[in-house]
Formats: sequence, C-alpha cells, structure tokens
Amino acid sequence: MTKLILSTGNIVSGGPSIIRKPGGYRSNLELTNSLRSNFLAAQQDFAADAHADDDSAVALNGNGNTNGNGLHHSGRTPASVWTAQEEGALYVPRIDWSLAGLQEEPAQYDITVKLFFLPTAAVAGRAQHAKEALGLVLRELGVKEVNLLVMSFPGMSFEGDCEWEADRLNAKQGDDEEEAATWPAIEDLHRQGLVRNLGIAEFGSEKLARFLKKVQVRPTVNQINIKNCCNVPPPLVKLAKEQGIELLVHSDCTDILSRGTLRELLGPGIRGAGLLADPETGGDGLKGDLAPQWVVKYTAVVRDRGVIENKGYFACAELTEE
Amino acid sequence: MGLLALGTALDWPEAKKQAHLVRSWGIKQLLEIWNKAKGKERDAMLWGDEVEYLVVTYSEQDPKVLLSLRQADILTALANDTSLLAKGGCVPELQHIHRNGEPLPVFHPEFGRFMLEATPGKPWGIEFKELLNVEPNMKLRRCIAKDHMLPNEHPITLTTFPRLGSPGVFTEPAYPISGPKLRSQFVPDEIANPHIRFPTLAANIRSRRGRKVQVNVPVFRDENTPWPWKDPTVNYDLHQWPEDDDVRNGAAPDNFIHMDAMAFGMGSCCLQITFQAKNITEGRQMYDQLSPLGPVLLALTAATPIYKGFLADTDVRWNQISKAVDDRTPEELGEKNDRWRIPKSRYASNSTYISTDARLRPEYFDPDLVIDEDIKQQLLDGGMDDRLATHFAHLFIRDPIVIFNEDLQELDLSKTDHFENIQSTNWQHMRFKPPPADNSIGWRVEFRPMEIQITDFENAALSVFMVLITRVILSYNLNFYIPILRVDENMETAHARDAVLERKFWFRKNLFPTSRPSRSSAGGSGSSTPRSAHASRPATPIGPVEDEYRLMTVNEIINGTAYACPEGANNDSTSDSGEDFPGLIPLVESYLDSVNVDVVTRCELGTYLDLIRKRASGELWTAAKWIREFVKSHPKYQGDSVVSEEIEKDLVGAVIKVGEREQQGKGFRGLECEGVKDLGKLMGKFRA
Repeated sequence: MTKLILSTGNIVSGGPSIIRKPGGYRSNLELTNSLRSNFLAAQQDFAADAHADDDSAVALNGNGNTNGNGLHHSGRTPASVWTAQEEGALYVPRIDWSLAGLQEEPAQYDITVKLFFLPTAAVAGRAQHAKEALGLVLRELGVKEVNLLVMSFPGMSFEGDCEWEADRLNAKQGDDEEEAATWPAIEDLHRQGLVRNLGIAEFGSEKLARFLKKVQVRPTVNQINIKNCCNVPPPLVKLAKEQGIELLVHSDCTDILSRGTLRELLGPGIRGAGLLADPETGGDGLKGDLAPQWVVKYTAVVRDRGVIENKGYFACAELTEE
Repeated sequence: MGLLALGTALDWPEAKKQAHLVRSWGIKQLLEIWNKAKGKERDAMLWGDEVEYLVVTYSEQDPKVLLSLRQADILTALANDTSLLAKGGCVPELQHIHRNGEPLPVFHPEFGRFMLEATPGKPWGIEFKELLNVEPNMKLRRCIAKDHMLPNEHPITLTTFPRLGSPGVFTEPAYPISGPKLRSQFVPDEIANPHIRFPTLAANIRSRRGRKVQVNVPVFRDENTPWPWKDPTVNYDLHQWPEDDDVRNGAAPDNFIHMDAMAFGMGSCCLQITFQAKNITEGRQMYDQLSPLGPVLLALTAATPIYKGFLADTDVRWNQISKAVDDRTPEELGEKNDRWRIPKSRYASNSTYISTDARLRPEYFDPDLVIDEDIKQQLLDGGMDDRLATHFAHLFIRDPIVIFNEDLQELDLSKTDHFENIQSTNWQHMRFKPPPADNSIGWRVEFRPMEIQITDFENAALSVFMVLITRVILSYNLNFYIPILRVDENMETAHARDAVLERKFWFRKNLFPTSRPSRSSAGGSGSSTPRSAHASRPATPIGPVEDEYRLMTVNEIINGTAYACPEGANNDSTSDSGEDFPGLIPLVESYLDSVNVDVVTRCELGTYLDLIRKRASGELWTAAKWIREFVKSHPKYQGDSVVSEEIEKDLVGAVIKVGEREQQGKGFRGLECEGVKDLGKLMGKFRA
C-alpha cells in the first residue's frame, strides 16, 4: 500500500483556479483546479531542473545521450523528477520545505484549518488522519498552533429549499455515532495546544444538539452553507447563541474529493498528471485502487489587515496494489 | 478638510513672491517625515470614510428650496452641545474628550458655506462585523447633523444643488452677486466658507489665472432645447470687475452651461475613503492599483446631471471641479510660451504611478510628465528613490495658493504645514499621504473619485466594497496596471451620459501574476516579491503593453464576463481565452469564501455587493439617471433642458423623503406613491 500526499502550494495568487464562477458556489473546483495547476507547474519546474542537469552531464561526458528537454519519451516529466518519496509517502508534487513558513510572527495570523473526512476512508483511521493532516499544515506554515480546526464529516450537507428545509433534512444526515467517536481525537489536538478552537461544519439544530451532549471540548464554530436566502433557521440561531457557537459561512462541499475525480487528476488522460498507469496502453505508472483518505484546507490571514497570505490544500490518498 | 489655521493670508501678488520659499520648506519637511517614516512597519489596516452634505431649507409650504448658509452656526451648535460633548462629539478639537464607548462622529467645515462633512469618530478596522457599523454610523451622522439644524434645514447627499448660480434667490440668507473675492456673476462671495482660507483660495486662484475660472458643461439637448443653445443666464453687460470681460471674450461658448466660480466645483459633495497601509511599500502598491479603478467607480456612482438649473450632457462632477480650481496661467495652459506647459488642472486624475512593484513597466508612465527637476534632485539627494521623487516633483510644479504670513518666520521641521500646503491643493483622484509629523499614524492612500449617493445604504455599500477590493488586491496580489494615459482617457469617458452602461473603459485583461509563485509562503501581503519556487523556470515573455488591456463595460469589470455576457462566456475555469474577465465582485466573493465570516455579516455584505452588481449591470439606475428621469417626467418640464424652481423643489423634496425614511428605518416601500418617482429603479428592493 502506498500513501500519496497531494498538495496545492499557496494558491492565493493562483489565478483562475480561485475565481468563483456564477452558480459555482459550493464546489470543489478550487481544490481540483489548484491541484491540477500545481502538478503542471511542478512538472514544468522540475523538467527545467532536469534539463539543467542534463546540460551539465553533456558538458561532462559529451555523449549527448539525453532527450534534451528533460521529458520522458511519453512527453511527460517522469514522476521520479517531480514527485518525491519521503517518510513513507509519495509527495505529489515534491515539496521544498525550506520555502515553508509565513512572513511575519505567528501571532499576527488567524490560521484556520478545515479537515474533510471522506467517505472513501475508514472511520478507524480518522485520529491518525487528523494528526497527520494538521502536522503537514503546521510544517507548511511554520507555526506551532492554529486558531481554528473545523471538522467536516462525510455525507452531510445543509441544502434544501431555503434553510428551513435544510435544517430538517440535515437532522438525518451523517452518522452521529461515528462523528462522536471521532471527536476525542480532535479534542486531544486541542489539549496538546496545537489547536486553539474547534469547529464543525454543516450541523443543523438537531444534529448539533445531539452532538453537544457527547463532547467534552465543545466546538466554538459551526460552518453552514447559505444560499441566496439569508434566513438561518431560528432553532439553529437560538441554539448557537445559547451555546456560544458562532455560525460561519462556507462554500465547500463535504465530499470534496471523490475516487473518480482523483483518478482523473492523477491519471493518464489529457487533464491528468500521468502518474497512474494507463490500462489501455499498459504503460508505466502506479497501478491499483486509489482511495481518497482526507483533504485539509488551510488559510493564514494577517489578523489586523485582513490580507490572506497563504491558502492551500493537502490531500491524502491510499493506493492498494491489486 | 483638516483643521483651519488662522492668520494673515497673503494676496496673490504677495503669495507669489513667497511660493518658492514655501515649496523649498515643504520639500524639507517632506524629506524629514519621509526619513522618519520610511521604515514604519506593520501598521494595521485602518480606514475612514468622509461623507459630505448639502444643507438645504425645505418645507412643503415654501415655494422654493434654498441652500442654507448657516454652516458656521450649525458647527457651533454641534460644538456647544453639552450632551454630545459628554459622549465625545463632535468637532475635532473637542474629540479627545471621548469617554467610554464609541466616539461620536466628527463634523468639519467644507469649502461651500452650504456644506458639511462628517467622518466617523475613530477609524474603522477590518473586522468584518465592524464593516456593518458603517451604515448605522452614517445614519447617526445625518441624525446628529439634522438635530443641530433649524426645523426646515436638511442635510442631503446630492452632489450638487440643482440651481446653484441660477438667477434669483437660491441661498438663505440671500446675498448680492459680484463680490470682490469671487467676482462671479452667478454666486455671491458669501457662498464660500467665510474662514479666510477659502475666499483667499478662490481669489488667488482667480488672480493667478488672470481671469475667472471657466466651468463650461455641455448642455443636454432635449426635444425643445433651442440649438445652438446660448446660456440665457449669462450677463454680457456687467462692468463691475475687470473679469466681467471674460464672457465678452468668449468664456461662455454656445451649447455649454457657463459657470465662473470655484463654488460650482468645490461645492460638490463626494464620498472619499482613506486606507492605512502596513508600510510605505504597501501604500505605494495600493495607490497604483486603485488608480485604474477610479474612473470605473466614478461612472458607477454618477450622480450629477444638473448644473445651474439646466440638464447637462454629462453625469458626473469631476471635470467641473477640475475647471473650478484651475489656476493655470495662460503660459501654463500653452497659450503663451513659458518654462512649461501643464496639461492638467490641480484637480485631475493621477499623472504617475509610484510603486516599487516589478510589474510596473516603463510603458505605463506618461513620457511627458511635467516635473520640477530641481525639486526632484533635492529629493534624490535626500535619499528618496526616483519614482517617489518624481511623484512629489510633479505635485510641486504647483504654486501654494494660500500662504499665511505668520508661517514664514522660520522653517519648523516638526511640522508638515508647507508640505501639506502643496500636497492638499493637488486634488488628484488618489492621494498618497505620508504620516503626520509626529509619525503617529501610518502611510495612507485616499480614494477620491466617487460621487456621494443619496442614501447612507448606498454610501456604506460603496465604502465597504472599496475596502474589500483593497483586501482582494493585497491578498491575490492583483495587477490592474494600464498606461496612466489610458486612465486619463477613462476619466473622460466616465463623464458621458450613462457611461456606466453606454461606454467602455480600458481595463487590464489578466489581473493575476503570469507565473505562479512558490508552493509555500509566497508574498501577497505586499512587502516582498513573491518567492519563485524555481529560479530556473523561464520568465513568461512580456508582450506589447497594448495586448495587456482592452475595452470593457463597467458590467464586465464589476461583474465579470461570465455574468455580463453569459452566452459568450466560457465556463471552463481553466481556460484562458483572453476575453474572459473574472470581475471584481466575484473576486471579492472568492476572498470572502476564504476568510471566516459569520452568517449575518456575510448576508449584509452580500446585500452591498448586490447593489453594486445591479448598478453595474443596469438592473438599477445610477442617481444621475434617476435625477434625469425625475426631471424629464415632471409635469412642469418643458423638454427644454431647464430645471425650474418647481422641479428643483420636488426633486429635493423627494430626496429628503428618502432620507427621512432611511432615518426612521421604515424602508422605502410606498414612497413612489408619495411623489418619489421611480425609486424602485434606483433602489430596487433594497431596504424596502
């Protein structure tokens, strides 16, 4: 089994991938577009590096036995060039950790991290996943703690004809038991001082009331999705107010990375990164079943200036060879 | 306007002799503060808005609506109100008394004696919830102002008084025209704030120029407008002052509404926003990046279709102010040979960029920018970099207009008065503001082109929108650069009737960096250039500047091509057809999606964005269009471009009703039945 760690890098200056399209709210396009563009950029960057190395090789032995552009004969940059095997995981693309960190003192930032547990991952792995995901974010931002960690559980949404109905539908979604069972691991991160506040996403009034009864460290934030109508159902407003939980807006979908999307991103197709083997041609590449495990989104905002300095995603997938 | 110093103001012949001294001391003061503040870092994002009001007298039974000239009395009433004092109001010198809680708004005099300006009691921050306090605070300001007026006086936010300068009585009290300071045949000297600074400003501009200012606006040609149209209010037989010859020498051409005094321009109300930057670098970046947005926001906020009782063929105030304070001599205007010809008035769009940004290409500058080379050299010698030195050497081509004799005794480097004398009489559409002499606040940038809107809801929406735009620019490191001469051109374009829908503006096609920055902590907050992940990545080749921008509608710029032209848009987000433009509002929404905003705040901010979206798309009218249609559909309108006293009264009455409804918080619903025609076309369902 191989673990893959995908990353977008800092996407705030990422151009089109961060731009909203009309009707495009609540989507995973930002994630998929920025992964795709980071893969492409890394392939170009490292191909250029490889090219530079080739040139020096030519100068040394003069045999000129290279393809001259750092590209594999398939026309793609070889995976070994732009990805890296490190500490038991394949980093796609490879990450130069020496560039990690924020520009100013950590105290200047509001850092929000949102962890998406995915339906394609085993519930038993969540404690490990949370630790791993948060660890990557802390490393990437060069900080020791974050202000807010929001948990997004699979199979939940806050949709329907206006928020009234959303609240009603929401009550039956997700899996109360699994969510409650996951929470102690998240509370641990808080107790270890890695996370100042905890949050959840897409909890309607009924689910939230049930959830609060089962937890020790209570969430201070509940992210909900609002459409054009700004009517938050009164029961949820009331409950949140009583419990001191802030209702924040988000526009992510919970099932943010599906198996199919991931295969397309990494696959041999024209919009893929060419990391997976092409079953048609039987060419090189990774083979096997690819299951998304989790996605984490992080945002570092300079607190008293409202400037987003760093935003990005990591995603983890497991490849089980057949 | 800042605090008003007292002293002996020099007449122009005397002031002219001291101009060089003031400039040279001004430069020394600038270098002093620049040296002190250039390393200032990490100032918070603070910002402030300024709302300006006309004060009118209106009651249903009076046949006329008049401008009230009681500004001084009203300010005195505000200053002497002990209950306000206790809470920390209300005029600047008393402001420090504030105790616990929010300081109350601050009121300031303005050029027009019929005007008031109000600012929040302390600057706003960037907490999103705090942005929702702007609108209530604006309403509070209006309420406090109204409370200190006579029952029949009202603060209104029309940009200009429709019949200012028309024959007959238009002020309360009334004064005779043709006074010694303004020498205007349309307005009395008493139209200006009586503080010595203001009449001196007007008189010295006139004197330096060698004739009265000429504010000519094309008249709107309606069905029954005689053509060629000769301004019927111009008196060619006045012989009181030498300047009365101006109209006999062609100052009032056919088909133009002719005005001849500073009050016609500086008597306009606008909405200005000032932002504090984290350091000088960020300030310079914001100054440059907001510059190209100026004309677009001017067109979007258009609210000035009437001058001196006639419908104009333009929708905005800008050029009229420009002409109203144009102190250029015939030599500077190019009518005679002299040291230099100056292409623009002191009040005009920006003429240069100042950022240290690597994306600022030499082609964006005006190759013919006029600067004072000696001053530039002094600044360079003082250690200032070329670009900033060029900017200030451009501002310092102007003479100081108002000089107080008392200030000329000795140079005081602990002040910035001489620098500010020149700086604050350069009224460009952006202003780059160094910290004050005590270095207590940061580098600031003022965004000046927007026209005031009729309601506080609209004014708050625009203020908040601009604040969010600055955050988007800094977060995404956006690039709005186009050649500065194209910005000038856009400024002219913005004047056209309904430019918001009918005209196109030069705008940059791709706002994003061409190469992707590092996969870790790239810049974006402005101070450092984004680190490149790999130095070896070949730089994206730079094409001709002309390929970087194209003509766009305001709708495309504000809402994006996907909204403005949905059928033509390519919905594949990764495509780069060159014609797709993301739109400022979608960018703001992307930003809001990336930060933590609570539900209520997000909805309110969404309402503000919706208003702007609809104004840009034409779903709602600009104030200019609404006023124009109000006049045209008035039963007494003759189709001859004339806005009579009766029409004026009904228009101002409608504006007052809208304001009262807003104050009461009752919503605008039903006002159309009370004579406020087409309000739905201006306001939609907002605050209904």
